[in-house]
Amino acid sequence: MLAHLEHVTKRYVKADGVLDVSLEFPAGEVVGVLGLNGSGKSTLLKLLAGLLTPTQGAIRVFGQAPRQARSQFVFLGERDALWSWMTPKDAETFMSGVYEDFDVSRFNELLDILDVPRRKTKAMSKGERGRLRLAMCLSRDVKLYLLDEPLAGIDLISREKILSSLVQEWHTDETILLSTHEVAEAEGLFERVLLMKDGRIALDTQAEELRSQGKSVVDAFREVLA
Amino acid sequence: MRTFRTLLWLEHRRSWVWAVSLLTSLIFWAWGIKQVLVSDIAARVGIRSSLLGAAAAIGLLVLAIMIGRLRAETRNGQYQVMLLSPPSGYTHILARFTYASVVAAVYFVAIGFLYWWIAELAGIHFDAVTLIELILGLPFFGMAMVVFPMLAWVLLLMVVVSSYRLAGSGWIPGTVMVFGSGVALGKLGEIMARVAYALPGWRIFRHALGAVVERFGPIDPDVSMEMSQVIYQGLPIEPLLIMLAVTALMIFLAGRIWQEVEA
Repeated sequence: MLAHLEHVTKRYVKADGVLDVSLEFPAGEVVGVLGLNGSGKSTLLKLLAGLLTPTQGAIRVFGQAPRQARSQFVFLGERDALWSWMTPKDAETFMSGVYEDFDVSRFNELLDILDVPRRKTKAMSKGERGRLRLAMCLSRDVKLYLLDEPLAGIDLISREKILSSLVQEWHTDETILLSTHEVAEAEGLFERVLLMKDGRIALDTQAEELRSQGKSVVDAFREVLA
Repeated sequence: MRTFRTLLWLEHRRSWVWAVSLLTSLIFWAWGIKQVLVSDIAARVGIRSSLLGAAAAIGLLVLAIMIGRLRAETRNGQYQVMLLSPPSGYTHILARFTYASVVAAVYFVAIGFLYWWIAELAGIHFDAVTLIELILGLPFFGMAMVVFPMLAWVLLLMVVVSSYRLAGSGWIPGTVMVFGSGVALGKLGEIMARVAYALPGWRIFRHALGAVVERFGPIDPDVSMEMSQVIYQGLPIEPLLIMLAVTALMIFLAGRIWQEVEA
Protein backbone atom coordinates (compact mmCIF):
# COMPACT_ATOMS: atom_id res chain seq x y z
CA MET A 1 0.00 0.00 0.00
CA LEU A 2 1.51 3.32 -1.05
CA ALA A 3 -0.70 5.50 1.08
CA HIS A 4 -3.66 5.26 3.38
CA LEU A 5 -5.90 7.53 5.42
CA GLU A 6 -7.76 6.35 8.52
CA HIS A 7 -10.79 8.33 9.64
CA VAL A 8 -9.14 11.57 8.64
CA THR A 9 -10.86 14.85 9.36
CA LYS A 10 -9.45 18.27 8.57
CA ARG A 11 -11.23 21.31 9.93
CA TYR A 12 -10.28 24.87 9.03
CA VAL A 13 -11.13 27.87 11.18
CA LYS A 14 -14.36 28.63 9.34
CA ALA A 15 -15.08 25.44 7.39
CA ASP A 16 -14.58 21.71 7.19
CA GLY A 17 -12.02 20.43 4.71
CA VAL A 18 -12.58 16.67 4.78
CA LEU A 19 -14.69 14.66 7.19
CA ASP A 20 -13.94 11.14 8.39
CA VAL A 21 -12.25 9.95 5.22
CA SER A 22 -10.70 6.47 5.11
CA LEU A 23 -8.97 5.45 1.89
CA GLU A 24 -6.22 3.17 0.63
CA PHE A 25 -4.10 3.69 -2.45
CA PRO A 26 -2.25 0.62 -3.72
CA ALA A 27 0.46 0.73 -6.38
CA GLY A 28 -0.53 0.99 -10.03
CA GLU A 29 -3.74 3.03 -10.07
CA VAL A 30 -4.76 6.21 -11.83
CA VAL A 31 -7.31 7.75 -9.50
CA GLY A 32 -9.58 10.63 -10.45
CA VAL A 33 -10.37 12.81 -7.43
CA LEU A 34 -13.49 14.62 -8.56
CA GLY A 35 -15.95 17.00 -7.03
CA LEU A 36 -17.36 20.48 -7.10
CA ASN A 37 -15.44 23.49 -5.81
CA GLY A 38 -14.98 23.28 -2.05
CA SER A 39 -15.73 19.56 -1.91
CA GLY A 40 -12.36 18.77 -0.28
CA LYS A 41 -10.28 17.54 -3.25
CA SER A 42 -7.34 19.88 -2.69
CA THR A 43 -7.48 19.32 1.06
CA LEU A 44 -7.28 15.56 0.51
CA LEU A 45 -4.22 15.88 -1.75
CA LYS A 46 -2.53 18.39 0.57
CA LEU A 47 -3.11 16.06 3.53
CA LEU A 48 -1.47 13.24 1.59
CA ALA A 49 1.45 15.53 0.74
CA GLY A 50 1.85 16.61 4.37
CA LEU A 51 1.13 20.25 3.59
CA LEU A 52 -1.80 20.03 5.99
CA THR A 53 -1.99 18.21 9.30
CA PRO A 54 -5.20 16.29 10.01
CA THR A 55 -7.37 17.50 12.85
CA GLN A 56 -8.21 13.86 13.55
CA GLY A 57 -7.14 10.51 12.13
CA ALA A 58 -3.90 9.18 10.71
CA ILE A 59 -2.18 9.32 7.34
CA ARG A 60 0.72 7.17 6.24
CA VAL A 61 2.56 7.52 2.96
CA PHE A 62 5.13 4.81 2.22
CA GLY A 63 4.67 3.81 5.86
CA GLN A 64 5.72 7.22 7.19
CA ALA A 65 4.22 10.54 8.12
CA PRO A 66 3.66 12.30 4.77
CA ARG A 67 6.22 15.09 5.22
CA GLN A 68 8.87 12.53 6.11
CA ALA A 69 8.22 10.71 2.83
CA ARG A 70 8.38 13.89 0.74
CA SER A 71 11.33 12.73 -1.34
CA GLN A 72 9.31 9.69 -2.47
CA PHE A 73 6.33 11.40 -4.07
CA VAL A 74 5.48 14.27 -6.36
CA PHE A 75 2.99 16.96 -5.43
CA LEU A 76 1.89 19.34 -8.14
CA GLY A 77 -0.07 22.11 -6.45
CA GLU A 78 -2.95 24.02 -7.89
CA ARG A 79 -1.03 27.31 -7.77
CA ASP A 80 1.32 28.39 -10.52
CA ALA A 81 4.33 28.14 -8.23
CA LEU A 82 7.31 28.91 -10.44
CA TRP A 83 9.66 31.83 -9.94
CA SER A 84 9.16 34.42 -12.68
CA TRP A 85 12.88 34.51 -13.52
CA MET A 86 13.06 30.75 -13.98
CA THR A 87 13.82 29.28 -17.40
CA PRO A 88 13.53 25.55 -18.16
CA LYS A 89 17.33 25.42 -17.73
CA ASP A 90 16.99 26.95 -14.24
CA ALA A 91 14.23 24.48 -13.46
CA GLU A 92 16.62 21.69 -14.44
CA THR A 93 19.37 23.09 -12.20
CA PHE A 94 16.96 23.37 -9.26
CA MET A 95 15.34 19.98 -9.68
CA SER A 96 18.56 18.06 -10.35
CA GLY A 97 20.26 19.75 -7.40
CA VAL A 98 17.47 19.04 -4.95
CA TYR A 99 15.97 15.73 -6.10
CA GLU A 100 18.24 12.73 -6.46
CA ASP A 101 15.65 10.94 -8.59
CA PHE A 102 15.40 13.72 -11.17
CA ASP A 103 16.23 12.50 -14.69
CA VAL A 104 17.70 15.35 -16.75
CA SER A 105 17.46 13.59 -20.13
CA ARG A 106 13.84 12.64 -19.49
CA PHE A 107 13.13 16.26 -18.54
CA ASN A 108 14.58 17.54 -21.80
CA GLU A 109 12.60 14.95 -23.77
CA LEU A 110 9.44 16.03 -21.99
CA LEU A 111 10.15 19.69 -22.70
CA ASP A 112 10.20 18.80 -26.40
CA ILE A 113 7.15 16.55 -26.22
CA LEU A 114 5.18 19.17 -24.29
CA ASP A 115 6.50 21.93 -26.52
CA VAL A 116 7.76 24.11 -23.66
CA PRO A 117 9.55 27.27 -24.89
CA ARG A 118 13.07 27.89 -23.55
CA ARG A 119 12.41 31.28 -22.01
CA LYS A 120 11.64 32.78 -18.60
CA THR A 121 8.34 31.70 -17.10
CA LYS A 122 7.19 35.32 -16.88
CA ALA A 123 7.24 35.33 -20.69
CA MET A 124 5.27 32.07 -20.92
CA SER A 125 1.52 31.58 -21.16
CA LYS A 126 -0.29 29.84 -18.32
CA GLY A 127 -0.51 26.70 -20.44
CA GLU A 128 3.23 26.74 -21.14
CA ARG A 129 4.00 27.15 -17.45
CA GLY A 130 1.61 24.31 -16.64
CA ARG A 131 3.43 22.10 -19.14
CA LEU A 132 6.81 23.05 -17.67
CA ARG A 133 5.60 22.21 -14.15
CA LEU A 134 4.31 18.87 -15.38
CA ALA A 135 7.64 18.12 -17.11
CA MET A 136 9.44 18.91 -13.83
CA CYS A 137 7.17 16.49 -11.97
CA LEU A 138 7.15 13.65 -14.48
CA SER A 139 10.95 13.70 -14.74
CA ARG A 140 11.20 12.35 -11.22
CA ASP A 141 11.34 8.62 -10.65
CA VAL A 142 8.73 8.10 -7.92
CA LYS A 143 5.79 5.80 -7.37
CA LEU A 144 3.20 8.32 -6.24
CA TYR A 145 2.05 11.45 -8.06
CA LEU A 146 -0.37 13.85 -6.40
CA LEU A 147 -1.59 16.22 -9.08
CA ASP A 148 -3.96 18.94 -7.90
CA GLU A 149 -5.83 20.55 -10.79
CA PRO A 150 -2.99 20.44 -13.31
CA LEU A 151 -5.47 21.29 -16.07
CA ALA A 152 -7.12 24.29 -14.40
CA GLY A 153 -7.17 27.46 -16.48
CA ILE A 154 -5.08 25.89 -19.22
CA ASP A 155 -5.94 26.05 -22.92
CA LEU A 156 -7.36 23.04 -24.75
CA ILE A 157 -4.16 22.19 -26.67
CA SER A 158 -2.06 22.27 -23.49
CA ARG A 159 -4.64 20.15 -21.65
CA GLU A 160 -4.48 17.54 -24.41
CA LYS A 161 -0.68 17.54 -24.31
CA ILE A 162 -0.66 17.17 -20.53
CA LEU A 163 -3.17 14.31 -20.57
CA SER A 164 -1.40 12.43 -23.35
CA SER A 165 1.94 12.83 -21.50
CA LEU A 166 0.36 11.43 -18.35
CA VAL A 167 -0.84 8.39 -20.32
CA GLN A 168 2.53 7.89 -22.04
CA GLU A 169 4.68 8.39 -18.96
CA TRP A 170 2.62 6.29 -16.57
CA HIS A 171 4.15 2.98 -15.50
CA THR A 172 2.03 0.18 -14.11
CA ASP A 173 3.68 0.31 -10.69
CA GLU A 174 2.98 4.01 -10.26
CA THR A 175 -0.09 5.59 -8.70
CA ILE A 176 -1.44 8.92 -9.86
CA LEU A 177 -4.06 10.88 -7.95
CA LEU A 178 -5.41 13.55 -10.24
CA SER A 179 -7.97 16.11 -9.15
CA THR A 180 -9.66 17.95 -11.98
CA HIS A 181 -12.77 19.74 -13.11
CA GLU A 182 -12.22 18.56 -16.65
CA VAL A 183 -14.00 15.26 -15.99
CA ALA A 184 -15.01 14.55 -19.58
CA GLU A 185 -11.52 15.13 -20.98
CA ALA A 186 -9.72 13.10 -18.34
CA GLU A 187 -12.25 10.31 -17.98
CA GLY A 188 -10.40 7.86 -20.24
CA LEU A 189 -7.38 8.13 -17.94
CA PHE A 190 -9.03 7.01 -14.73
CA GLU A 191 -9.07 3.46 -13.39
CA ARG A 192 -10.64 4.46 -10.13
CA VAL A 193 -12.93 7.34 -9.38
CA LEU A 194 -13.37 9.16 -6.07
CA LEU A 195 -16.28 11.55 -6.01
CA MET A 196 -16.15 14.01 -3.13
CA LYS A 197 -19.05 16.00 -1.75
CA ASP A 198 -18.98 18.29 1.28
CA GLY A 199 -15.69 16.84 2.48
CA ARG A 200 -16.86 13.22 2.33
CA ILE A 201 -16.30 10.44 -0.16
CA ALA A 202 -19.62 10.20 -1.98
CA LEU A 203 -18.49 7.45 -4.35
CA ASP A 204 -15.35 5.29 -4.57
CA THR A 205 -15.50 2.91 -7.48
CA GLN A 206 -13.57 1.42 -10.37
CA ALA A 207 -14.18 3.19 -13.68
CA GLU A 208 -14.58 -0.23 -15.31
CA GLU A 209 -17.45 -1.00 -12.98
CA LEU A 210 -19.22 2.18 -14.03
CA ARG A 211 -18.69 1.32 -17.65
CA SER A 212 -20.08 -2.18 -17.11
CA GLN A 213 -23.25 -0.50 -15.81
CA GLY A 214 -23.38 1.53 -19.00
CA LYS A 215 -22.36 4.73 -17.24
CA SER A 216 -19.52 7.11 -17.89
CA VAL A 217 -17.59 8.94 -15.16
CA VAL A 218 -19.38 12.10 -16.24
CA ASP A 219 -22.76 10.36 -15.72
CA ALA A 220 -21.71 9.25 -12.23
CA PHE A 221 -20.43 12.75 -11.50
CA ARG A 222 -23.80 14.25 -12.45
CA GLU A 223 -25.79 11.57 -10.64
CA VAL A 224 -23.92 11.78 -7.35
CA LEU A 225 -23.07 15.44 -7.17
CA ALA A 226 -26.05 17.12 -8.82
CA MET B 1 26.31 19.42 0.18
CA ARG B 2 24.92 19.43 -3.35
CA THR B 3 21.48 20.42 -2.09
CA PHE B 4 22.94 23.24 0.01
CA ARG B 5 24.85 24.51 -3.04
CA THR B 6 21.64 24.37 -5.07
CA LEU B 7 19.72 26.29 -2.42
CA LEU B 8 22.48 28.91 -2.33
CA TRP B 9 22.19 29.16 -6.12
CA LEU B 10 18.41 29.52 -5.77
CA GLU B 11 18.92 32.25 -3.18
CA HIS B 12 21.33 34.02 -5.51
CA ARG B 13 18.87 33.84 -8.40
CA ARG B 14 16.12 35.22 -6.17
CA SER B 15 18.18 37.98 -4.63
CA TRP B 16 21.03 38.96 -6.94
CA VAL B 17 19.38 42.22 -7.98
CA TRP B 18 19.19 43.26 -4.31
CA ALA B 19 22.74 42.12 -3.61
CA VAL B 20 24.27 43.81 -6.66
CA SER B 21 22.30 47.02 -6.02
CA LEU B 22 23.50 47.09 -2.43
CA LEU B 23 27.14 46.55 -3.36
CA THR B 24 26.94 49.04 -6.22
CA SER B 25 25.55 51.66 -3.82
CA LEU B 26 29.03 51.79 -2.28
CA ILE B 27 30.16 53.72 -5.37
CA PHE B 28 27.55 56.34 -4.48
CA TRP B 29 28.78 56.51 -0.87
CA ALA B 30 32.40 56.83 -2.01
CA TRP B 31 31.36 59.64 -4.34
CA GLY B 32 29.48 61.26 -1.44
CA ILE B 33 32.62 61.11 0.73
CA LYS B 34 34.62 62.92 -1.95
CA GLN B 35 32.00 65.65 -2.09
CA VAL B 36 32.50 66.62 1.59
CA LEU B 37 34.91 69.54 1.38
CA VAL B 38 34.55 71.25 4.77
CA SER B 39 37.80 73.06 5.53
CA ASP B 40 38.07 71.92 9.16
CA ILE B 41 39.70 68.53 8.87
CA ALA B 42 38.19 67.04 12.05
CA ALA B 43 34.71 68.11 10.94
CA ARG B 44 35.39 66.67 7.49
CA VAL B 45 36.37 63.32 8.99
CA GLY B 46 33.28 63.43 11.23
CA ILE B 47 30.85 64.13 8.36
CA ARG B 48 32.46 61.52 6.15
CA SER B 49 32.28 58.93 8.95
CA SER B 50 28.61 59.79 9.52
CA LEU B 51 27.94 59.16 5.85
CA LEU B 52 29.38 55.68 6.24
CA GLY B 53 27.28 55.20 9.37
CA ALA B 54 24.21 55.98 7.24
CA ALA B 55 25.47 53.56 4.57
CA ALA B 56 25.76 50.83 7.21
CA ALA B 57 22.22 51.47 8.53
CA ILE B 58 20.68 51.55 5.04
CA GLY B 59 22.64 48.42 4.10
CA LEU B 60 21.23 46.62 7.13
CA LEU B 61 17.70 47.61 6.11
CA VAL B 62 18.21 46.42 2.53
CA LEU B 63 19.63 43.10 3.76
CA ALA B 64 16.66 42.65 6.10
CA ILE B 65 14.21 43.25 3.24
CA MET B 66 16.21 40.94 0.97
CA ILE B 67 16.16 38.03 3.39
CA GLY B 68 12.57 38.59 4.50
CA ARG B 69 10.83 38.30 1.14
CA LEU B 70 9.02 35.12 2.12
CA ARG B 71 5.48 36.43 2.15
CA ALA B 72 5.27 36.80 -1.64
CA GLU B 73 6.55 33.24 -1.99
CA THR B 74 3.89 32.04 0.41
CA ARG B 75 1.21 33.81 -1.62
CA ASN B 76 2.53 32.57 -4.96
CA GLY B 77 3.02 28.97 -3.90
CA GLN B 78 6.83 28.72 -4.13
CA TYR B 79 6.87 28.19 -0.36
CA GLN B 80 4.93 24.93 -0.92
CA VAL B 81 7.50 23.81 -3.48
CA MET B 82 10.30 24.41 -0.98
CA LEU B 83 8.46 22.85 1.96
CA LEU B 84 8.04 19.64 -0.03
CA SER B 85 11.60 19.53 -1.34
CA PRO B 86 13.84 16.94 0.35
CA PRO B 87 16.30 19.35 2.07
CA SER B 88 15.37 19.92 5.70
CA GLY B 89 13.96 23.20 6.96
CA TYR B 90 17.29 23.88 8.65
CA THR B 91 19.10 23.59 5.29
CA HIS B 92 16.66 25.99 3.63
CA ILE B 93 16.99 28.54 6.42
CA LEU B 94 20.75 28.19 6.62
CA ALA B 95 21.11 28.70 2.86
CA ARG B 96 19.11 31.93 3.03
CA PHE B 97 21.05 33.13 6.04
CA THR B 98 24.42 32.19 4.50
CA TYR B 99 23.72 34.04 1.27
CA ALA B 100 22.63 37.22 3.06
CA SER B 101 25.61 36.96 5.43
CA VAL B 102 28.08 36.67 2.56
CA VAL B 103 26.57 39.74 0.88
CA ALA B 104 26.67 41.54 4.25
CA ALA B 105 30.32 40.56 4.78
CA VAL B 106 31.36 41.95 1.39
CA TYR B 107 29.39 45.14 2.03
CA PHE B 108 30.67 45.81 5.54
CA VAL B 109 34.28 44.92 4.72
CA ALA B 110 34.02 47.43 1.85
CA ILE B 111 32.73 49.99 4.36
CA GLY B 112 35.80 49.17 6.50
CA PHE B 113 37.93 49.98 3.46
CA LEU B 114 36.09 53.29 3.03
CA TYR B 115 36.85 54.19 6.66
CA TRP B 116 40.50 53.48 5.96
CA TRP B 117 40.24 55.70 2.87
CA ILE B 118 38.71 58.52 4.94
CA ALA B 119 41.64 58.22 7.38
CA GLU B 120 44.14 58.27 4.52
CA LEU B 121 42.48 61.35 3.00
CA ALA B 122 42.80 63.02 6.41
CA GLY B 123 46.48 62.09 6.57
CA ILE B 124 46.08 59.46 9.29
CA HIS B 125 48.24 56.51 8.36
CA PHE B 126 47.44 53.29 10.19
CA ASP B 127 49.91 50.45 10.51
CA ALA B 128 49.16 47.05 8.96
CA VAL B 129 47.62 45.58 12.15
CA THR B 130 45.22 48.50 12.62
CA LEU B 131 44.34 48.32 8.94
CA ILE B 132 43.40 44.64 9.23
CA GLU B 133 41.45 45.36 12.40
CA LEU B 134 39.56 48.13 10.62
CA ILE B 135 38.83 46.16 7.48
CA LEU B 136 38.17 42.71 8.98
CA GLY B 137 37.95 42.88 12.77
CA LEU B 138 35.52 45.75 13.23
CA PRO B 139 33.11 44.61 10.45
CA PHE B 140 33.09 41.11 11.97
CA PHE B 141 32.34 42.47 15.43
CA GLY B 142 29.56 44.69 14.05
CA MET B 143 28.08 41.87 12.00
CA ALA B 144 28.14 39.40 14.89
CA MET B 145 26.58 41.95 17.24
CA VAL B 146 23.98 43.49 14.92
CA VAL B 147 23.76 42.10 11.37
CA PHE B 148 23.62 38.34 12.03
CA PRO B 149 21.03 38.59 14.84
CA MET B 150 18.98 41.03 12.75
CA LEU B 151 18.97 38.75 9.70
CA ALA B 152 18.11 35.69 11.81
CA TRP B 153 15.34 37.64 13.55
CA VAL B 154 13.79 38.78 10.25
CA LEU B 155 13.99 35.24 8.91
CA LEU B 156 12.32 33.84 12.04
CA LEU B 157 9.65 36.56 11.97
CA MET B 158 8.81 35.90 8.33
CA VAL B 159 8.67 32.14 8.85
CA VAL B 160 6.39 32.61 11.88
CA VAL B 161 4.09 35.04 10.10
CA SER B 162 4.03 33.04 6.84
CA SER B 163 3.29 29.89 8.77
CA TYR B 164 0.54 31.11 11.06
CA ARG B 165 -1.02 33.40 8.46
CA LEU B 166 -2.21 30.18 6.91
CA ALA B 167 -4.49 29.73 9.90
CA GLY B 168 -5.85 33.21 9.22
CA SER B 169 -4.33 34.93 12.22
CA GLY B 170 -0.71 35.54 11.35
CA TRP B 171 -0.77 39.06 12.71
CA ILE B 172 -1.08 37.71 16.27
CA PRO B 173 2.23 35.80 16.41
CA GLY B 174 3.80 38.55 14.29
CA THR B 175 2.74 41.29 16.70
CA VAL B 176 3.65 39.24 19.76
CA MET B 177 7.05 38.52 18.28
CA VAL B 178 7.77 42.16 17.37
CA PHE B 179 6.85 43.48 20.82
CA GLY B 180 8.31 40.47 22.62
CA SER B 181 11.60 40.96 20.80
CA GLY B 182 11.84 44.54 22.07
CA VAL B 183 11.45 43.35 25.65
CA ALA B 184 13.83 40.43 25.07
CA LEU B 185 16.44 42.77 23.58
CA GLY B 186 16.21 45.02 26.65
CA LYS B 187 16.77 42.05 28.97
CA LEU B 188 19.58 40.81 26.77
CA GLY B 189 21.23 44.24 27.00
CA GLU B 190 21.08 44.07 30.79
CA ILE B 191 22.64 40.62 30.83
CA MET B 192 25.36 41.70 28.40
CA ALA B 193 26.20 44.76 30.50
CA ARG B 194 26.42 42.54 33.60
CA VAL B 195 28.76 39.95 32.10
CA ALA B 196 30.86 42.27 29.90
CA TYR B 197 34.61 42.07 30.50
CA ALA B 198 34.42 38.92 32.60
CA LEU B 199 36.74 37.61 29.91
CA PRO B 200 39.67 39.67 28.61
CA GLY B 201 38.49 42.17 25.97
CA TRP B 202 39.38 42.03 22.31
CA ARG B 203 42.10 44.67 22.20
CA ILE B 204 41.33 46.11 18.82
CA PHE B 205 42.84 49.41 17.60
CA ARG B 206 45.51 49.52 20.28
CA HIS B 207 47.86 51.16 17.78
CA ALA B 208 45.24 53.52 16.37
CA LEU B 209 45.49 56.20 19.05
CA GLY B 210 49.14 56.79 18.24
CA ALA B 211 48.30 57.40 14.56
CA VAL B 212 45.56 59.87 15.50
CA VAL B 213 47.86 61.72 17.92
CA GLU B 214 50.63 61.73 15.33
CA ARG B 215 48.30 63.39 12.83
CA PHE B 216 46.39 65.82 15.05
CA GLY B 217 48.84 66.33 17.88
CA PRO B 218 47.89 65.99 21.57
CA ILE B 219 44.13 65.73 21.98
CA ASP B 220 41.86 66.70 24.88
CA PRO B 221 43.21 64.72 27.89
CA ASP B 222 39.70 63.57 28.93
CA VAL B 223 38.90 62.31 25.43
CA SER B 224 42.37 60.80 25.20
CA MET B 225 41.81 59.04 28.53
CA GLU B 226 38.43 57.64 27.42
CA MET B 227 39.86 56.44 24.12
CA SER B 228 42.83 54.87 25.88
CA GLN B 229 40.50 53.08 28.28
CA VAL B 230 38.39 51.63 25.46
CA ILE B 231 41.51 50.67 23.57
CA TYR B 232 43.14 49.27 26.72
CA GLN B 233 40.10 47.24 27.78
CA GLY B 234 39.24 46.27 24.21
CA LEU B 235 35.83 45.28 22.86
CA PRO B 236 33.91 42.97 25.20
CA ILE B 237 33.76 39.38 23.95
CA GLU B 238 30.76 38.25 26.02
CA PRO B 239 28.09 40.25 24.14
CA LEU B 240 29.59 38.94 20.91
CA LEU B 241 29.27 35.34 22.11
CA ILE B 242 25.75 35.96 23.43
CA MET B 243 24.57 37.46 20.13
CA LEU B 244 26.12 34.61 18.13
CA ALA B 245 24.29 32.13 20.37
CA VAL B 246 21.02 34.08 19.97
CA THR B 247 21.51 34.05 16.19
CA ALA B 248 22.05 30.28 16.19
CA LEU B 249 18.94 29.81 18.34
CA MET B 250 16.77 31.89 16.00
CA ILE B 251 18.04 30.00 12.95
CA PHE B 252 17.28 26.72 14.72
CA LEU B 253 13.75 27.87 15.61
CA ALA B 254 13.04 29.09 12.07
CA GLY B 255 14.24 25.74 10.69
CA ARG B 256 12.14 23.82 13.20
CA ILE B 257 8.98 25.76 12.30
CA TRP B 258 9.73 25.22 8.61
CA GLN B 259 9.82 21.46 9.26
CA GLU B 260 6.35 21.42 10.82
CA VAL B 261 4.39 24.17 9.16
CA GLU B 262 1.22 23.77 7.09
CA ALA B 263 0.90 25.41 3.70
